[in-house]
This record gives sequence, structure tokens and C-alpha cells, in this order.
Amino acid sequence: MEYVSPEGLRLDGRRPMEMRQIRGEIGVVDKADGSAVFEMGNTKVIAAVYGPREVPNRSQQMNDRALVRCEYTMANFSTGDRMRKPKGDRRSTEISLVIRQTMEACIMTHLMPRTQIDIFVQVLQADGGKSRCLIAAIGTRSACINAATLALSDAGIPMRDLVTSCSAGYLNSTPLLDLNYVEDSAGGADVTLGIMPKLDKVTLLQMDAKLPLDIFENVMQLAIEGCKAVATYIRQVLLENTKQLEYRRGT
Amino acid sequence: MVGLSIGEKHFIQGGIAQDIRSDGRKRLTPRPINVKTGVISQANGSARVRMGATDVIASVKAELGRPTALQPDKGKVFINVDCSPTAAPMFEGRGGEELSAELSVALRHCLLGGKSGSGAGIELSSLVVVEGKICWDLYIDGLVVSSDGNLLDALGAAIKAALSNTGIPRVNVAAGASGDEQPEVDVSDEEFLQFDTSKVPVIVTLTKVGKHYIVDATSEEESQMSSAVSISVNRQGHICGLTKRGGAGLDPSIILDMVSVAKTVSEQLINTLDSQIAAAEAGEDES
Repeated sequence: MEYVSPEGLRLDGRRPMEMRQIRGEIGVVDKADGSAVFEMGNTKVIAAVYGPREVPNRSQQMNDRALVRCEYTMANFSTGDRMRKPKGDRRSTEISLVIRQTMEACIMTHLMPRTQIDIFVQVLQADGGKSRCLIAAIGTRSACINAATLALSDAGIPMRDLVTSCSAGYLNSTPLLDLNYVEDSAGGADVTLGIMPKLDKVTLLQMDAKLPLDIFENVMQLAIEGCKAVATYIRQVLLENTKQLEYRRGT
Repeated sequence: MVGLSIGEKHFIQGGIAQDIRSDGRKRLTPRPINVKTGVISQANGSARVRMGATDVIASVKAELGRPTALQPDKGKVFINVDCSPTAAPMFEGRGGEELSAELSVALRHCLLGGKSGSGAGIELSSLVVVEGKICWDLYIDGLVVSSDGNLLDALGAAIKAALSNTGIPRVNVAAGASGDEQPEVDVSDEEFLQFDTSKVPVIVTLTKVGKHYIVDATSEEESQMSSAVSISVNRQGHICGLTKRGGAGLDPSIILDMVSVAKTVSEQLINTLDSQIAAAEAGEDES
């Protein structure tokens, strides 16, 4: 199948180095300490942060740093075909783990010993055609991490940097930025990357399928560019939010 | 769930006794309601309803299925509610299942009618394509995104709005199938039938705190309740379903009193909801 037309356009009309439409919004769950919605194309994710708070389960308490926990859930209606009881399956556990590890790397946990920070990520809509909810779940990783970053900043939790994530792939001998569902299920290589843009450090790197080393470098470079673009956008959203807060305070 | 001091509890109870609640409302004044339709593009219909800090999403998906042998002339409707952990950390893991089950059962009581399918708020016979062979199965999924009390009413409103937003594809049945054969169907992806939601009831929950009862309780007020009665009322003012929650017993005469109050409150609610749904649908068409 042809994923990039001779004119250099992808199936959804994007150029190879173009991202899907992204949109972020802060403060969507009133009761949470911090919350955000993040959309990447058709993928829509809500993240809510509770904490830092007392550790309910004493045996998990750590005396030198905060405990970070994460739960990822997909709504029944989030995929093309209705999912039945997806709670607690292995794939969501895996994604929870990925998000937790990525966020833990940037939260300054040593500043909040004996506390717990909960990150809850809820997928409202996953980009994807019919019934392949497994791949659809994998495609939401980047959006989840971006949403979690926004929510953590909204909660005012000290972080080293804003982690942002983006994916890139390689199809029809072209590196492609931010794969959509069809491209993701095409079977080509898919690199998901999470970086801390200011520190220039990689916190998440996952790839399936194989790639020659020199091409991998290109694809990863492309993903880094994508992450940086997302970071610029997230910074803008946060800045706008802070301006709003300042305006409401009347200073 | 809600940590309140003794002083706060007295404040809430005292306010309700004197007909002015902590947010300035009277006992029978609901919070303003905000409806947005078409929020989930993959569903046949969806809506998001916000009442104060309560935020719920309902989606309707239609799939072709087979009617049951007992009711060959009726479609099937499944209602399921999930509580997202984003709403409260206690819903993490399996923590939300009890509340989800309670809400699903209450919604089924209020919207679906009896076992025979009679008296349902949703017209089940309109879901049949070929009698005894093909019908539409409606999967109604509710999701609690943020919770500040009165989830049942919000979910009821969201489902009503989602159903008005639902387009069920027109189905062309190939003629010639006879006997036990399953007829071939052709599902149109251009023509949609609008769902008639004028008979879908709204749910009004009256929460009893002290000697009085209030509508649209926040989670702080709900923590002080002795019992609550949820009554679903349709536009004609008929009672379509009723459930009681909470530990304390109620005097039968009070229940009758509550039902008549719910009837008057539901009139306002139906009117606001209808205008909100119409506004949301109009706004969606423009964009």
C-alpha cells in the first residue's frame, strides 16, 4: 500500500514532517489538584493529578521521596468498535507503567518525601478504525504523556522540565512524523520518544520493528523535532493559563 | 470521601433547614446545566453534561443484532456506566465498580421500564428492522469524568442529550429471505434516522438532609444525606421509574410528597434541557 503519494502527501493529507492538529486545555476536572485535556488529531485524552498527598497505603510510603502512581483507562466508547471491560488488562498496565516511569523521571520527587502523587489518564477517544483496540491503545501513549505533563504543571508539582512525547515512523522509504492509526498499523517501524526539551535528555524511547542504524538516526531526529514542537505548544498553553490567572487576580 | 468538620456539617444542615444552601441556592433550585453534543466522533451519538463541577459523558453506539425470542418485536438497549479515576482517586482500579453498578442499575430502572419492555422511556419497538430477525442493539455508555454530586441526574440528562444527537443508519433489507434464513442487509452510511427522544424521561433526585429534601445536591451535601429518592419523569408528567438509595427509612407520605415535588421540578428541567440540547445541536451544525 502507498502511504506517501508521489506528490509527497500522506493518507490524511499531511506532509511527511507535519504533525496532527494538537490542542491542550488546562483545568477540565474541577475537583482534581491539576487536570488537562490533550488532543492529537482524533486522539483525545484527559489527565488528572491528585497530590502530593498523604500515602493511604502506609507500606508503600518512601521516606526519601514521593511515590508516583499512574493509572491508564480507556473509555468503553473510545475505539471504533465498543470495547467490553478493558479494565486492568495487560496493555493498559504496560502503558500505565510507561507513563509512570516517564513522569517520575522529571518530577522532583526528593522534594516531597512521604507523599503520593496520583496521575490518572483517561482516554476518551482513540484514533483508530474498527475493532483494533490494541493498536489504538498504543497510539495514545504520546497524547497521554503530553496530557500528564500539562496536568502536573497545573497541579504545581515541581518538575525538572516539561516532558513531551511524539512518535515517528518509517514507511515507503520516508521518515514520517506523528503516525496516525492507519500508518501505525501498517507494520513499519514506529519510534515513540519522550524528551525533556530544555535539558535535552531522552526519558522514553520505544521502537518496534527493525530499522537500519543510519535511518533510525534520521527517524529519531524527526521525533525529537516533533517533541520540541509539542513542548513549544505546551509552554504556550501554560503561559496563556498563567496570564488568565493573573488577570483574574486583578494585578 | 468528603472530609468535613463538625462545624461544616452543621453549616450545611443549618443552611438547608433555612432554605439557603452553601452556594446560595434554595432547596429546590438546581445548578445551571451545560450541554455539549457530538463530543465523541466515533459514536452514533454523544453528549457531555456539566452541572457545577459534575461532568459526565454519555455515548450511544448502535449495532445490528438479533431480538430475543421472547420479544421479537423489540430492540435491545444496554446501559453501562463507568467511573473514571480522574473523578476521584477512590475510583482507582476496581474501586469505582460498586458505584458504577449502582448507577447503571438505577439508570436501567429509570429509563428502560419493566422486564417485558413495556413502559420504557426509550421506544424499543422503533429499533426493530425485521421482526424476529434483526434489530438494533443500542449500547449506552456513561462515563463520570468529574464528580460533585448528583451523578444520576447528570447521567440521565447526558443520555437524553446523546439520544437526541443519535443518528441510526437507515437499513435496506434485501427481499426474498424466507423462513429461518437471516436476511441480508445493507447499512446506509449516508442516510440516518433521527431518534425520537420526546418520550425519554429526565431523572430528578431528591436528597433528604435532616427534615428537608433538596434537588441537585453537591457531594458535600450528599455526604450529609439520610436517604435519596430518584424519580424519572417524562414530559407528560408520568413517573417512569423510581429508586431509593441511602440507609435511612422514609415515611410513605413523604415519598408521595417527594414524587409530586419531583414532578414540578422535572418540568423546569425538561424545558432547560430541551433548550440546551437544541442550542448545542444548532451550534454543532454551524461548526
